[in-house]
Amino acid sequence: MAMVSTVDEPSMVFIARHDLKMSAGKLAVQCSHAAVSCTLNARKTHARLVERWRNAGARKICLRADDLATLQRLAGQAQAAGLVTYLVKDAGHTEVPPGTVTVLGIGPAPRRAIDALVSELKPY
Amino acid sequence: MGIRSFLHRITAPPLSGERIDEPCKMVCIVNQSLKMGKGKIAAQVGHGAVMATMKAGMEKPINLEQWFTTGQKKVCLKGRDAEHLLELEQQAKAAGVLTTLVHDAGHTQIPSGSLTVLTLGPEIEATLEEITGELKLL
Repeated sequence: MAMVSTVDEPSMVFIARHDLKMSAGKLAVQCSHAAVSCTLNARKTHARLVERWRNAGARKICLRADDLATLQRLAGQAQAAGLVTYLVKDAGHTEVPPGTVTVLGIGPAPRRAIDALVSELKPY
Repeated sequence: MGIRSFLHRITAPPLSGERIDEPCKMVCIVNQSLKMGKGKIAAQVGHGAVMATMKAGMEKPINLEQWFTTGQKKVCLKGRDAEHLLELEQQAKAAGVLTTLVHDAGHTQIPSGSLTVLTLGPEIEATLEEITGELKLL
């Protein structure tokens, strides 16, 4: 895995629930929660990967999923593959009920490891 | 700076007993003249949030700590165009608020180097209100 990651552009991906019909601002805030939490968690376990990711422009992509079940399935698969994941639960101040899972963040991780998981998803 | 010292900086108690009692937030102002899609905006705001968090870890660890404690509040607002974002950046700097500008690498949707987002904070909510109070929610 370490050998592969040195030749592979690291990426972070946000998978957002399309069924919640969040506004642009809401979606951006939820993805940012995932971005900050994934980055800080990854710094503890994958410090070199985080540095390479940031130096290479900190690539981030936002994809859409149909429902909560898809997020949970992908979170399980990503964890099984040893990737950093973070499920964002909304505090529910606006738009959605408190505790609603809105976004799954994965990475930073080698691009091909992420592509292997999310290749069937469309850009948000 | 190594990972250990970074984590120490953001988790260690402040040395001089300095602290903030008011809640802190982060404000992300999006350049509306660029007509970015929702996913694009989310990625750009994400860039700004991570950059601002790292910057605060080094320059304003007390704000960062208080922001984490008060739920990492983030708000997304509409900015008119690049000039408007730069104007707000100057006001924020004058008020001592941490500012972060996000320029797009231009892989998709918009010209390379476009100023997409201005991130302010983490800072005391009332201080940010004075700068961004007039702006509409995205």
